Amino acid sequence: MVFDKVKEIIAEELGVEEDKILMESDLSENLGADSLDAIELIMAIEEAFDIEIPDNEATKIKLVSDIVNFLVEAGK
Amino acid sequence: MKLKPLTINDKVVKFPIIQGGMGIRISLNKLTSACMNSGIIATISAAQPGFLNKNFRKDPIGENKKELKKEINKARANSKDGILGVNLMHAGTNFPDYASFLAKQDIDFIVSGAGLPLDLPEYLEGSNVKGAFIISSGRAAKILLRSWDRRYQYMPAFIVCEGPLAGGHLGFSKEQMASGDYDSLEKIVIDTKEVVQDYEKKYNVKIPIIAGGGIHDGHDMAKMIKVGADGVQIATRFIATYECDVSESYKQMIIDSKKEDIVTVASPAGLPGRAVRNFLTKSLEKHNLELHYCVDCLKTCKKKDIPYCITEQLGNSTSGDKNGLIFTGAKAYLIKKMDYIDNIVTEIIRDCKKDLKLNGGLI
Ligand SMILES: Cc1cc2nc3c(=O)[nH]c(=O)nc-3n(C[C@H](O)[C@H](O)[C@H](O)COP(=O)(O)O)c2cc1C
Repeated sequence: MVFDKVKEIIAEELGVEEDKILMESDLSENLGADSLDAIELIMAIEEAFDIEIPDNEATKIKLVSDIVNFLVEAGK
Repeated sequence: MKLKPLTINDKVVKFPIIQGGMGIRISLNKLTSACMNSGIIATISAAQPGFLNKNFRKDPIGENKKELKKEINKARANSKDGILGVNLMHAGTNFPDYASFLAKQDIDFIVSGAGLPLDLPEYLEGSNVKGAFIISSGRAAKILLRSWDRRYQYMPAFIVCEGPLAGGHLGFSKEQMASGDYDSLEKIVIDTKEVVQDYEKKYNVKIPIIAGGGIHDGHDMAKMIKVGADGVQIATRFIATYECDVSESYKQMIIDSKKEDIVTVASPAGLPGRAVRNFLTKSLEKHNLELHYCVDCLKTCKKKDIPYCITEQLGNSTSGDKNGLIFTGAKAYLIKKMDYIDNIVTEIIRDCKKDLKLNGGLI
């Protein structure tokens, strides 16, 4: 499932426990990601899912669900 | 150990020094020509060069481009073989538009800081102009290299590591500046050297690492070369010179400043900056300044409830108003008199070589 894989990547990149990561978690406010973390996370997602997230889409990402929705819409 | 010349865009300069770009209208054709003719690399700042033009408030982009073209062409006419670049902040609005425009000009590089220029290579396709970036941590360098490698298979012509003593917008948060929780320039250089190695191997290129922020003299420069930097970037030291394009009053403020006059101010861009204490910084301790117009210069500016407008205040001061924002690096107080670029460069190189125990010629 996309969410499980995303959760795994976020846990690894941000160093948070998986069960703290919910669909509605805010990457910066709840999971403590700063702007560099966010870019690293996006790159890790791109690599894991073999997909390109354009900058204008990437800047809209705030919640975990934003990532999951983007991937699902892209057919992942 | 040797002091090696710097190669960028297949051109070589004698001395591994880059004059850092300074806005608004501080590093234009006069300063950059003098720097190139003294054997160092020069940078024009793309920050609002059209500020003095009549139409600026109506058409900032058009007027800025007009001035950039004019300044580039004049500098180029004075130094055909010099290495000339333009500094374009990533936090500025219309970054893609300016970058594409600059990629068509007679310059050697675009160097971009104040934010992560993940997309810069996109605008350089098919151009002879090379891309470079400014970062304030090894981590930011790693992210940019990884991203440019993956998306564009493109490597920077050089990387500027900017430490906490620099002028202009600082790449550290207000909290970091207040608590002292930031990396030293030496550490940033060492970390960046390390992350660059894999990419140098992969692409079989040399990516020069340039250290900037608080490099005042040859001793400062030698320290950076010793920790592995290939060169230094210097900005503040070049303000109080006969050739610098800024107003005489701005130069005098730098010369007159004492150590206690160098303060940090919040910039509307959300980043801290450094300035010479004056009417503006004293007023800011009490209240925000009135805003008179907006040319939508920074993506990161909220435009309302901000302490002051950076274009208005910096543009005013560089044009001659002592009450505006006098942006500076931390070591301005060491500058005691007006001088010529050539004298300063000669002195810096002499002292640097002395410290590195290098004799004779540079090369
Ligand atoms: C007055 C002033 C204006 C500056 N303007 C810019 C600018 O427009 N864009 C930019 O990226 N850096 C700017 N900088 C940063 C310099 O290019 C340079 O990297 C830095 O100041 C180096 O530190 P130093 O001033 O201690 O030598 C500015 C610095 C100063 C002092």
